[in-house]
Parts: sequence; C-alpha cells; structure tokens
Amino acid sequence: MALLSIEEITKEYDGIRALDRVSLKVEKGNIKGLIGPNGAGKSTLFHLISGVEKPDSGKIYFKEKEITSMESYKISALGMGRTFQTLQIWGNMTVVENIMAGMNRRLKGGLFSCGLWLPWIRRSEKEALKEAKEILNSLGLLGKWESLASQLPYGKQKLLELGRALAMKPELLLLDEPASGLTLTEVRQLSELISQIRREGATVLVVEHHMGMVMEIADEIAVLHNGELIAEGTPDGVRRNPQVIEAYLKGKKADA
Amino acid sequence: MVETKKNEFRKRDLFYLVPLWLISLIAPDPYLYHKKEFKKKDLFYLGAIYLAPLIWFDLHFHHLMVLAGIYAILALGLSLFMGYAGQISLGHAAFFGIGAYTTAILTTRYGLPTFMAFGASAVSAVVIAYLIGRPILKLKGYFLALATLGFGEIFLVIVRESTDLTGGVIGIFGIPWFSVMGFSFDTYLKQYYLTWGVLIGLFIFSKNLVRSKVGRALLAVAASEDAASSVGINVPRIKLEIFVLGAAFAGLAGSLFACVMSTANPEAFSLGFTVLIVMMVILGGMGNLYGPVAGAILLTWLMDSLSKYQEYSLPIYGAILILLLIFFPDGIGTRLNVRVIYLIGYWAKKKKRDEGKL
Repeated sequence: MALLSIEEITKEYDGIRALDRVSLKVEKGNIKGLIGPNGAGKSTLFHLISGVEKPDSGKIYFKEKEITSMESYKISALGMGRTFQTLQIWGNMTVVENIMAGMNRRLKGGLFSCGLWLPWIRRSEKEALKEAKEILNSLGLLGKWESLASQLPYGKQKLLELGRALAMKPELLLLDEPASGLTLTEVRQLSELISQIRREGATVLVVEHHMGMVMEIADEIAVLHNGELIAEGTPDGVRRNPQVIEAYLKGKKADA
Repeated sequence: MVETKKNEFRKRDLFYLVPLWLISLIAPDPYLYHKKEFKKKDLFYLGAIYLAPLIWFDLHFHHLMVLAGIYAILALGLSLFMGYAGQISLGHAAFFGIGAYTTAILTTRYGLPTFMAFGASAVSAVVIAYLIGRPILKLKGYFLALATLGFGEIFLVIVRESTDLTGGVIGIFGIPWFSVMGFSFDTYLKQYYLTWGVLIGLFIFSKNLVRSKVGRALLAVAASEDAASSVGINVPRIKLEIFVLGAAFAGLAGSLFACVMSTANPEAFSLGFTVLIVMMVILGGMGNLYGPVAGAILLTWLMDSLSKYQEYSLPIYGAILILLLIFFPDGIGTRLNVRVIYLIGYWAKKKKRDEGKL
C-alpha cells in the first residue's frame, strides 16, 4: 500500500464543491507535485490530509492507518510534517527555538520533569540544541540562530518553516506553496533542499502554483481543476495533456 | 582640540550612563526569550530578598511584602497561562479563594495542621481547575475571558450562599498561623521568609518549565495553534495542564493568605481582585517571569500608599495605571533596560564615529 492514499474524498463549503471525489496515492520515497489554478482545491486537500479540516465523505489512509477523522496533532505525531501557505512561524521565539519546538514530539518529559529540570531533561535539551543547530546549518540560518524569528526576512522565514517541519523527522512532508514569494536564488536553494530531503528518505507532497519548479523536482504530478482530478502522471505526460493546458490557459485568462 | 572635545563628551555621558548601567545590572533582561538560563543577577535578587526586611526593619513593610509575595505567587501562575500560552483568565481569584477556604475549613473545623491544609488547598484547586478547564478551554479569546469571569462569579455566589460551610458573607475567623513541625510562623518577618521561600521555589520551577520543551510548546500555542498541532503538540492538553498548574499556584497562595490574615471572606476574592492580579501580570510584562513579581510588589505598594486618600484612591489608581500602560506598554523594568541598551549602543557608535574622524 502507498504511504498516503486518499479515496474518493469530497468537501463542500456552503454548497460549493471544493473537492469532488478526489483519489490520490503517494508512494514512499517519491516527490509528488500537486498543481492547479487558483481555487482548484489544492489547499483544501492539504487541510483535509493534515486534519485541520474534516472531509464530508471519503477516506484517507496514512501508513495503512485511517486518519480521516483523527485530530491534527495525532496525525502529525504519526510522522507527517507540513508547512502552510500563509507563513506560520512562531515570531515570539528565537530561530533556534522554532526548530527545537518542531522536535517537541521526539523530546521526552512532562510538566513535572521539566519543571524540576531532572538530569535527563538537561541532557535531552542539550542534544536538541545541538541537533537544531545542525539543521540550521544545513538551511544556512546558523548565523541568525539567536535572533527572534519575526526579525528574519520573508524568504528566510519560509526556510525556517521548512526546517521546523524537518525537525520532526517526518516520513511524509506536505509543502504548501513553498516557493511563493521567494526570489529565484531562493527557489533554487529550496529545490536543492527538497531533493536532499528525498535522498534522506522522506516522501514529499508539494503543492505549487509555480509550474517550473515542480516540473523539475517531482517524480509524479497530479493536476486539480475545479475540485476534480483531471490528470496524473509524469511531468512530461502532464505537460502535454490537453485538458491541463486548457485549464491553465483558462486560469490565466481569468487572472488577467 | 578634537581630543579635548571627545573627553568632554565622554564625561558628560558618564553622568547618565553610570546610573543607567547600574539599572541594567539590576533589571531583568528585555525581550530576550532565549536567554532563559539562571544568571548572576538571580543571585543578586536572592540576596536582596534575604536582606531587604532586615535592613528595612519595619512591621508595616514586612506585612506589605508578605502580601506582595502571596500576590506574586498568584501572578506567576497566571503569567504562565496569559503571558506564555497567550490565553485569558479572569477567574483566577476563584482558585485563590478555593485555596483560602480549603485551608480555613480544614484547620478551623477539622483541626488539621496548617501544612497539611496547605497541600490540600493545592489539590482542591487542581481538581476544580481540571473539571472547569476541560470544557471551558475549548473557547478562545474573549469567550474564554467571559467564561472564566462567569466561573469566578459563580464561585462567589456559592461561597456567599452556603453559610454552613463557608460562613457566608461574614467568612471564617481564627485560622491559625502557618506552622510546620511545631515551628510557628507567628511574626511578619517569619511569614515574609515563608512566602518568599515558597515564591522562590515556584519561580525556579516555572523558569525551568519555560526554558524546556513545555515553554516552547506554550509559546507555539500562543503564536499559532495550527502550526503547533502541525508539529504534534497536543494543544488542548497543554492548555489544560498550564491552566491547572496556574490554579495550583493560586491555591497555594490562597492558603498562605488565609494563614497570614487568619480570616477568609468573600470580599477578598471579588472581580476587583481578579482585575488587580491581571494588572500585575500586564504591568510587570507578559512573557517574562520577573514581570509578575515586579508587578505584584508595585501594585501592593501602590494600593497601600493610596489607601490614605481613601475617597480619591480609585481615580488616582486608574490614572497611574493608564500612564504606566502608555509609557511602559511592555511592562516595567524590561522597558527601562531596553532604553539602557539603546543608549549604550548609541554612545558606542558615536565614539567609533568620532575616532574614525581622527
């Protein structure tokens, strides 16, 4: 069975069908791209997978476990990390604390053991700090590790959000428009990073507006349009699909 | 020529830099959430807490500081819930009251030793906070504020009406002094060391908490609950835990209060008192554990010094609060220190620029 499989999922908002019987599979070790014009239902699908919202019908399985109506923190604890379309870093913490908070699930200790600062808490805090610095080093953010996260420029904050998801050591990483608002150099750095994450064994599902980057890094691409899955396959196959071309052209016209 | 000018500049600067530097030695660090480890400054605070009542040997001062210590315990618990987890509670006075009444009832009716009643107060506050918190903490923002406010009022009504148990409006008198193993805390000075000892213990506990994974989870919940659950933080549970912990602090403070005042009556736990505690947290600075302690000392002193002008006390009190909130929106103490760091940085830059010119 695939790492993540979505079966016939439907979601409506006030009578408008955001997703209509969408089925999707993500195989272990793959990078899967999910594209589609504005309002196609990509972000809704992400919210349903990560448990922020619940579907009207249909089922979602992650690691052969049904997660359809699970609470979102439990889904995350199973090993699913995500980033958000609108940036959600914790500006009230330092950069390194953002990463360390991302490790929360892996660190042991409850209210009392932390409050009493027992020896093994001290040890695990020390190790967490060391590991967080290594992650920051790989992101190129180590120089700013002690400044408040809200003081970083936008591109760096996006990287930090990705780093936070990586700190969980997720098996599946959901990236919601990771390249939006980034400069070209930053996009290049990002696609290298995503390829590296895959090499380290994680599976990635990436929603992206920006076709170029997805075509470059994804093994497989699925295309959503008006809440329906209209195409699925290799990047080249999808690029030549007439339905996809039409949907994108219409989307472009509507934007303009 | 230039040389003398530079020297003049330095001397004039020392005039305000030295006192400001001294303040910066004393005041807690500003904004630096990550600088959470214990420092030499904390030893200075410990020394000051030990010596203050011995140097200023005045019964009235001792009594005030006992009250300030009790309020600081209460504000410390609330600051974990408000300043770190970013929630609002206007029902904290009720847990203070629960602690006070538990001690009052257990010691006067059942003759339990005070230190056992002290523990029982925390337990009863924890149990009630758990039962109340489970349903209530699903609410957010103003709704949570209103629900906790409602809880506080319900508690007051119950206390006033159940005359048999709580003595109604009159309250319970004759609560014995706090005593452990026959050692009775019967003077204000002894009570001062008792309350501040408890405060220091709870402060160390809280500080360890906020520099560990729990503190990071709390700050994460305050900034973005979606992001917090996306990394596997159980948001409802951590909110409940910290609410219950705050209630336990309040229960302990209430128990000490009952022993010090030797009475418990509903007037002490009214809405006005809740507002006062919230003010201590806000004035002292949110997201900072030194803040609530400073706020508690400041407001206790303020209340006392305004009590001479009974009829004008409310407007004066209000005006002072407004001025403080305008000029120190991030709390007292930390703000001063920000100024100091800014000025020292400015001075250092100016010095460099002058040297560059030479």
